[in-house]
Amino acid sequence: MTERPGSLHATALSRTYAGVRALEGVTITVRRHEVIGLIGPNGAGKSTLVNLLSGFDFPTSGSVMLEGFDITTWSAHRRVRSGLVRTFQHGHAFPGLTARENIEVAALGTGAARGVAARRATELLELMGLADHSNAEAATLPHGDERLLGVARALATMPKFVLLDEPAAGLNEDEISAFADIIKLVRDERNAGILLIEHNVPLVLGVCDRIHVLDQGETLAEGSPTEIRNHPAVADAYLGATAG
Amino acid sequence: MRYVQYFIDAVALGSLYSLVALGIGLIFGVMRLINLAQGELLMVGGYTLFATNGWSVFVRVPLVLLVIVGLALLMERAFRRLRSAAPATMLVMTFAVSFLLRSIAQKRWSAQGKSMNIFSGLSHAFTVGQLRIRYVTLVSIAVGGVLLLGVNLFLNRTDIGLQMRAVASDRRIAQALGVRTNRVVVTAFALSGVLATAALLLFVPQRPTVTPDFGLQIAIVALIGVVVGGMDRLAPATFGGFSIGFANSMVFSLLPTGQRVFLDSVLYGLVIIVLLLRPQGLFQRERQTTRV
Amino acid sequence: MLVLLAGGLSTVFSQSVQLKFHNAFVITAMVVCVYVSSGNSGVISFGHVSFVAIGAFAAGLFSMKAQQKGAVFNDLFPFIKDNHLGNLATLILAAALGGLYALVVGIALVRLNGLSAGIATFAVLGITRNVLRNWTKVGPGAKSIPGVEETTGLTQALMALILCIVVAYIYQRSAAGRRLRATREDAIAAQGVGIRIYRERLIAFTLSGAMAGFVGAVYVHFLGSVSTDQVYLDLTFLVLAMLVVGGVDSLWGATLGGLSISFINTLLSEGEKGLSLFRQKFTLPTSSSGIILAALMAIVLLTRPKGLANGREFGLRGFRRRDSI
Ligand SMILES: Nc1ncnc2c1ncn2[C@@H]1O[C@H](COP(=O)(O)OP(=O)(O)OP(=O)(O)O)[C@@H](O)[C@H]1O
Ligand SMILES: [Mg+2]
Repeated sequence: MTERPGSLHATALSRTYAGVRALEGVTITVRRHEVIGLIGPNGAGKSTLVNLLSGFDFPTSGSVMLEGFDITTWSAHRRVRSGLVRTFQHGHAFPGLTARENIEVAALGTGAARGVAARRATELLELMGLADHSNAEAATLPHGDERLLGVARALATMPKFVLLDEPAAGLNEDEISAFADIIKLVRDERNAGILLIEHNVPLVLGVCDRIHVLDQGETLAEGSPTEIRNHPAVADAYLGATAG
Repeated sequence: MRYVQYFIDAVALGSLYSLVALGIGLIFGVMRLINLAQGELLMVGGYTLFATNGWSVFVRVPLVLLVIVGLALLMERAFRRLRSAAPATMLVMTFAVSFLLRSIAQKRWSAQGKSMNIFSGLSHAFTVGQLRIRYVTLVSIAVGGVLLLGVNLFLNRTDIGLQMRAVASDRRIAQALGVRTNRVVVTAFALSGVLATAALLLFVPQRPTVTPDFGLQIAIVALIGVVVGGMDRLAPATFGGFSIGFANSMVFSLLPTGQRVFLDSVLYGLVIIVLLLRPQGLFQRERQTTRV
Repeated sequence: MLVLLAGGLSTVFSQSVQLKFHNAFVITAMVVCVYVSSGNSGVISFGHVSFVAIGAFAAGLFSMKAQQKGAVFNDLFPFIKDNHLGNLATLILAAALGGLYALVVGIALVRLNGLSAGIATFAVLGITRNVLRNWTKVGPGAKSIPGVEETTGLTQALMALILCIVVAYIYQRSAAGRRLRATREDAIAAQGVGIRIYRERLIAFTLSGAMAGFVGAVYVHFLGSVSTDQVYLDLTFLVLAMLVVGGVDSLWGATLGGLSISFINTLLSEGEKGLSLFRQKFTLPTSSSGIILAALMAIVLLTRPKGLANGREFGLRGFRRRDSI
C-alpha cells in the first residue's frame, strides 16, 4: 500500500464476529491537522473501526499504518506511546481516582515525569472546563463530564492522532459549542489528526474537514461536509431522520 | 496391561475429585464464592464416622449425610452477608471458617489421625487376568457417574434447577425476573453437601484416617482442578476436578519410584503450563474477549 | 508510632512475651510485601511465601558454620556447604535471591488474572516447598535447619518492618506505582493511556519478591531454626487473611491488619500458657487460640467487608479518607 507519512491509514479493514460482519473492507485516512467525522446509524461499525485502529481488537483482514509503520498487530499501549490514542464510548474513567489523578496517570503512562504530569493535568482540566471537579472522584461525575474527562485523559498522552468515540453525548447545546472549539484548538494548536464519532449532525457538519459515512459495516460515502449533506444515500440512511 | 491398571486407578481417583469439584463449582456458580471450607464438610463427616465406628451403616450413612448437609447450610448462613463483597473478602471468609472448624477439630480430637472404617468390604480386590481391581474403584466410578448424571438432570429438568442456571448466568437479572435467589443458593449448598458425603464415603477406603487437615488437602486439589478446568461453567469445572485426580494418580504411577517424592512438583508444573496456555480454562470453548 | 507502640508494650508485658511480639513485626512486614504486589495490582498471589521461604533457607543455610553443615546436611552443593556469611550479608543475599526468583516466576505468571493467577502462584508455592523438602542438594530435606544465629531482636524486627513500609510507600507514590494502581482501577482504560500492564506488574512482583526474601531472612534470624512446614500453607493463609482483614487496597490497611492480628495471635497463644497482664494472671484453655482468632477474623469480615482501614491511607498529614494513587 502507498505509504503516507504523517497520517493514520487503514486499508480494506474487515472484522467478523462469529460469522457476523461488523466491518467490511473499510479504507480510511486521517491526516494530521485534520478532523474526520465518522457517522452512521447504530451498529454501523463505528466503534469497531476505532477498536481496530487503536489495538483493542484486531482485524480479520486488512491493515493499519501509522506514519509509514505497519501497526496492524501492535498492542494498544504501544500505539498510545507512538502517538495514537482513543477515548471510549462507555466511560472507562478510573473510577476511584479523582479527575486530576485520571489525567496525571495518563501522562505518567506515556513516560512523563510527575511534575510534568501535574502541570499537564492543570492545563487540561482548565481547557475542558473541569477545573471545579478536579478533586471529585471520577465515579461521581455526571456522564457528560466523564466523557470530557476521557478526552482530557487522551490529550494528556500528547497524541498525534486522537480517536473520539461519541465524546459529546450527554452535553447540552452550550457545552457542545464549547466542545467544538476545543476540537478545533486541538487540531490547530497541537497539530493533531482527529477522528470524531458523533451523532449530533450540526456539530459534525460544523467542525469536520471531511466526513466518512458507515452503514452496516461498509463505507457508504466520503467527502466534505457539503458533499455529505447533499448525498442522497446518506440522507436516506442517516441524515434524513435527524437533519430533516 | 500395566497401563490399563494405571488408567483404571486414575479414573477412580478422578471420579472422587470430580464430585468435590462439582460441589465447589455449584456454589461458585450461584454466588461467585470459592469455598475453601468445602473440605471441612468431609472432615466433619469423617469425625462423625469415627465417633460412630461400630454402629449400623443404616444409621451411620444417613447421620453423616445429615451432619454434612446441616453444616453446609450453616456455612451458607455465614457467607450470606458477603454476597456482594469483593472476591478476596469472600475467599478469606471461607478460609476463616475453614480455620475455625479445623481449630475446633484439633481441640476436640487433637492432630492425631483417627480411623473411620465403613464399608470395609470395598477395599477388597478381585483380579481379571493381570488386573487387580478393588471394589471401591468400580463403586467410585459408578457412583461418580450416577451423581454427575443426577445433578445434570436436576439442573436441566427441574424448576429449581432451571432457576439455579439462571442465577449462575446472571444473578441480578435472575433476581429482577423474580427468581428467589435465597432458595436457589440454599439448594446449591445442600446439594454440595450431598456430593461431599458421597465423596467422603468413597475416600474412606483409600484414606481411612481423619485428621483436622483431612479435608483441606482434598479441597485444595479439587479447587485447583476447578480453576484449571474452567470455573465459569459446571461441566468444565467438574472435568477439571476429574483431570486433576486422574493426573495425580497417573503421574504417580508413571514416575520412577525414586522420583515419586517430586509428584507435587510435576503436577503443579502441569497446572502452571495449562493455566498459561488456556487461562480461561482447559475445557472452556473459546476465550472470552472483553468487549470494549 | 511503631516505636511508641513498642515502648508501650514493654511496660505492659513481661520480658518473655515481649520477645514474641518481635514475631508480630516480622509477620506484618510479610503482609506489607504481599501488599506491594497484590494490593497495588489487584491480582491475588498465594505464592509470596515461596520468596519468604527462599530467603529464610538461604539465610539459614549460609549463617550455619561450615563444619556444622557438613555434619547435618552432607548432600548440599559444596558452595553452600563450605561458605558462611554474617547477619547483614545473609539479609542482602536473601533479598537478591527472592527478587531473582520472583522475576523468573513473574515473567511467566504476571500475565494471568484473577483466579488463574491465584492458582498459578499457589502452584509455585507447592513446587518451592516440594523441591526444598526433597532435593537435599539445595535444602535441608525433611529436617529443619538448626542453630541459626538469632540476630533478630526488637531492633532488627522493627527496622525491617519500617524499611518495608517505607519502600512500599515510596513505590506506591512513584510514577510506576501510580501506573500499576491505575491498571487495578480499570485495565482497559490503563492500556488506553499507554500503560504496559505486564511490565508494571512485573516490576511490583519483583520488588515485592526481593522484600519477601529479605523478610524471610529476618524471620529465620528470629526463629533460630526453620523447616519447610513453617513457610508453607498456614503462613500463606495467615498473611493473606491479615491483608484482607486490614484492607487490601491501602498500605495502612496492610500494616493495621498485620499488626492487629499478629498481636492478638501472640497474646492468645501466650494466653494458653498463662499470661500476666497488668499483674493479673490469665490462662486460656489449650488450643483455643485458633478458634478465637478465626472467629474474630470472621466477625471483622462480616462487619467491615472492606477491611479495618476501609480504604484509608497513610499520608504525610495524617490519614486520608480516600485511597488514592
Ligand atoms: N466483541 C463483539 N462481539 C460480537 N459482536 C460485536 C462485537 N463488537 C461489535 N459487535 C457487533 O458489530 C456491530 C457493529 O458494532 P459497533 O459497536 O461497531 O457499532 P457502532 O456503529 O459503534 O454503534 P453505536 O452507534 O451504537 O455505538 C454490531 O452489530 C455489534 O453487535
Ligand atoms: Mg459505538
